[in-house]
Amino acid sequence: MRKFPSWGIAFIVLALLLAACGSNGSSNGPAKPGESEPAKGNETEESYELTVAYFTFGSVPKDQLQIEQALNEITKEKINATVKLLPISFSAWQNQINLMLTSNEKLDLMVLMGTGYANQVSKGQLVEMDSLLKEHGSGIVEALGPDYAKAALIDGKTYGVPTIRDLAQKYGFYMPKALADKHGIDLSNVKTLDDLEPILKKIKESEPNMVPIVNSVNASPVTTFSTRDSLGDDMGVLLDNGQNLEVVNWFETEEYAATVKKMREWYLAGYIGKDAVTVKESKSDLIKAGKGGSALAAMKPGFDVQEERQTGMPIVSAEMLPPTAKTNTVTNIMWGIAKNSKNPEKAMQFLNLMYSDKDVVNLLDWGIEGTHYLKVSDNVIDYPEGVTASTVGYAGLGWMFGNQFLSYTFKGDDEQLWEKMKDFNDTAVKSKALGFTFDSSPVKTEYAAVSNVITQYRIALECGALDPDKVLPEFNSKLKDAGIEKIIAEKQKQLDAWAAAQ
Amino acid sequence: MDEVAKNRWKRFAPLLLLMLPGLLYLLINNYLPMFGMIIAFKDINFAKGIFGSDWIGLKNFEYLFKTSDAFIITRNTLLYNGAFIIVNTLGAITIAILLNEIRAKLYQRFYQSVVILPHLISMVIVSYLVFAMLSSDSGLLNKSILPLLGLEEISWYSSKEYWPYILTTVNIWKGIGFLSVIYLASIISIDPEYYEAATLDGASKWQQIRKITVPLIMPVITIMTLLAIGRIFYSDFGLFYQVPMDSGILSDTTSVIDTYVYRALMNLGDIGMSSAAGVYQSIVGFVLVILSNYTVRKFNKENALF
Amino acid sequence: MAHESKWIKWLAHSVLMTFSFACLIPFALLIISSISSEQSIINNGYSFFPQEFSLKAYDYLWDHWGELGRAYGITIFITVVGTAASLAMTSMLAYPMSRQDIPWKNFWAFFVFFTLLFNGGLVPTYLIYTQVFEIKNTIWALIVPGLLMNGFHVLLVRTFFMTSVPPALIEAAQIDGAGEIKAFYKIVLPLSMPIMATIGLFEAIMYWNDWFNGMTYVTDPSLFSIQNILNRIITDIQFLSNNSNLSSTAGEAMAEMPTTSVRMAIAVVGVLPILIAYPFFQKYFIKGITIGAVK
Repeated sequence: MRKFPSWGIAFIVLALLLAACGSNGSSNGPAKPGESEPAKGNETEESYELTVAYFTFGSVPKDQLQIEQALNEITKEKINATVKLLPISFSAWQNQINLMLTSNEKLDLMVLMGTGYANQVSKGQLVEMDSLLKEHGSGIVEALGPDYAKAALIDGKTYGVPTIRDLAQKYGFYMPKALADKHGIDLSNVKTLDDLEPILKKIKESEPNMVPIVNSVNASPVTTFSTRDSLGDDMGVLLDNGQNLEVVNWFETEEYAATVKKMREWYLAGYIGKDAVTVKESKSDLIKAGKGGSALAAMKPGFDVQEERQTGMPIVSAEMLPPTAKTNTVTNIMWGIAKNSKNPEKAMQFLNLMYSDKDVVNLLDWGIEGTHYLKVSDNVIDYPEGVTASTVGYAGLGWMFGNQFLSYTFKGDDEQLWEKMKDFNDTAVKSKALGFTFDSSPVKTEYAAVSNVITQYRIALECGALDPDKVLPEFNSKLKDAGIEKIIAEKQKQLDAWAAAQ
Repeated sequence: MDEVAKNRWKRFAPLLLLMLPGLLYLLINNYLPMFGMIIAFKDINFAKGIFGSDWIGLKNFEYLFKTSDAFIITRNTLLYNGAFIIVNTLGAITIAILLNEIRAKLYQRFYQSVVILPHLISMVIVSYLVFAMLSSDSGLLNKSILPLLGLEEISWYSSKEYWPYILTTVNIWKGIGFLSVIYLASIISIDPEYYEAATLDGASKWQQIRKITVPLIMPVITIMTLLAIGRIFYSDFGLFYQVPMDSGILSDTTSVIDTYVYRALMNLGDIGMSSAAGVYQSIVGFVLVILSNYTVRKFNKENALF
Repeated sequence: MAHESKWIKWLAHSVLMTFSFACLIPFALLIISSISSEQSIINNGYSFFPQEFSLKAYDYLWDHWGELGRAYGITIFITVVGTAASLAMTSMLAYPMSRQDIPWKNFWAFFVFFTLLFNGGLVPTYLIYTQVFEIKNTIWALIVPGLLMNGFHVLLVRTFFMTSVPPALIEAAQIDGAGEIKAFYKIVLPLSMPIMATIGLFEAIMYWNDWFNGMTYVTDPSLFSIQNILNRIITDIQFLSNNSNLSSTAGEAMAEMPTTSVRMAIAVVGVLPILIAYPFFQKYFIKGITIGAVK
């Protein structure tokens, strides 16, 4: 370093800068359309590369590339296109997608989440797909069925299709079987929050080190116990699971007041943990460690098995509220075509495969047969020898990749799982507002202010950490100051217009 | 005259050339993207692009002032930052002076490494460590220390009155070592002759610190303070969001502009509104810096930034 | 006199000892939590004396070793290259600014300072870097945006040059026939080792700890830096739990998320290498003193 002339340093820095400017890099730069090889055996039409973005949690599976290759073999043959899978970390998701859309990067298909859907449509991020669906998406329409296919309409047009999974939700109560047996607790007649009280009391009295009822991070015990249609955000809701179309202020209802009062009683009685508001472990982890006694949860067919895997112990559960379908239970996870797409038709064709082609679905959900799973019987699979859930090279999120009903079931799961799930979806009580999506952009100022007030009070109130007699009126007056009434009026207006168009 | 100016430029040509890479970088990294500030005044539509989207005036700014909390968040931001500037500066200078007094190599190394440790831990982890101290069920403070002193348990995460002290403490703990290294570097480079002369004149240590050390590092203190003033409307998001565990009960004393913006836009994800907040914070900081720099200039031209 | 300096030493030791203790204790808690069993953390909270030790957290990280090893390599590369380039650019910009006789003196200071107050925000920055310079998914994306040179450091170094480098020394060198650049390189830089070491340390820490560039400009897993991977593991769970609509559907994903002790182990794995590299910078703090003394 000492002998090096200062001019040299200056040049190196300049060179670095220039290199940074001019470099395309060895790995794929952003927008290079038509980079893929032309399809063999079909030279008249060049094969198109689809970029498919979705979110992942934690790390990218190590065999990701193998999956992509295997997938491309199928797609080249069936729709003459290749697929570039683009997994994005969940915490970076919203930012990354916004950035890619603003900068017109290559992006064809992407996962949508219900909460941002209306906004994405009003900001022009998505391609309207009705005619594409008609032409290339018969498999999707058929698999979804008429009721759910129209759950994602905005102004009568489709911009996204829900994935096929549990499209409804029911709410219930569960606890470790061992704990229930030990104290002779019977869950069969549990229907209301009041019915839970003797159970929680018993746990509290006999297990002094246990928190009788636990909640998720950033939530309260009753977050997963709902009799209303939140219309996506709880700022103006429909009571009674949306059986009438009058938008009311949930936080001013008697039902809400009664619920938070009950939670306050539970908190004071020690049924809810003192650290409930700031808890950082999941319900399953708390129960697994023997710290949590029970919990309320959103349930679906197969819930018990799933929960047993997570807690590592048998559990018993009781359904307290019947399955209901609301817009947000359906539009939770959808797929849409990005406005950046150069070839929306191909995108739709691939989407159609995700809803109708068993090989594609299972490849994305489970990986490659023989490497990542073995078939036990026709529709049941297991890990190969020596492979476990934590060492397997690929695992996809079944509820994300199109039609989960085409997916194999895992050994230990109910073999009839998907039939039951379909039944669950079909028989669910449907909110009258199913299919209505609120667009908050006309009232975004109020929306921002109200969001802030809600995060300030809600969880603490619902965990019982605050005295509702004093704080609930304060909460409500702040909501009014922030403009919740304006949001409710706007919501009612949009809902009426939507209902009239039906 | 022209000829003189020309010569002056010619003389400084090598120096200006030295500056070139840095200036270019600032141009690309900082100045070019500033066109993006127009986003704050637009209703962004992706189909139309940034330039094609409609102008909507100050509508994106409204949510910052519309709420009844506008006063609270502004007050909190200013008070916290004001306190941090004073406490951190005094603390860091003290630590730096004391570090400079240690001559034994082993101790020197030990202290210098240890004080910077907290700076290396991310705020998420810091929030867990604070939780380990303060948790109601299992915190060290409630379970071990308070009973030892014969005091009642305190439910920290629902008692907002303690949080100004807790957050200030965490901030000092995390930042002071880092700051003291900056001051240490400038103290180290003070010419030892000053001290030798002072010692010969019989000046005490305390006098040396007051009359030599502090005046000589004054330019560094000034610049650090001016920078902090420029960012007075910004706050360390992690400190105010993660460390109180996002507990709504505490919001009267813990919410600041940055956390307000985050909570307000969490569901909305509107880039126009978030960039409006940034523009607002920058403009306030800018005005304050110009004023403070002007004040500094009046007292001591040398120490002013420009 | 001697009495007084002893008193000061004693004071210095006691204050610094107390503060060091306050810095070390939480760090020790962090390390102990990372080797505690999950059960004992949940049941008894974080503790210096956990009921049960467990290396499960490190097992989990070991399972991801393929990923982590490569990421360490990337991080080391960007830290070394970035810090070196950054030091060069920072001092080269700061030195002329520090000269009393440079034309437009105040303008340069303002030009640099302004960048600390205003920024265009993420979207326009992203547009420029990806559209004009096309650095998305390249190693440059981890080095250049935002980090390469920081106006704050430039101003610090400028102030340092102004106060600690006597102009007479530079003039003397110029009389001896050294050009501007030689004077900078032969006289100014060696005199400024303490501040260079300080800035170098800050830059290195910034590069080491940066996950934002990775999150923004890189989607290709082969270019993930260590903090990028660690940060994903930690923050994804936070985002998921903020999105309650999704978390009932995403139950399975939730189960695979790391536990508290893993998060602690991640913090340890992220911090240790900097601690190891720290003495390298420290050397120059001490060297600074000797240069000053020799002169």
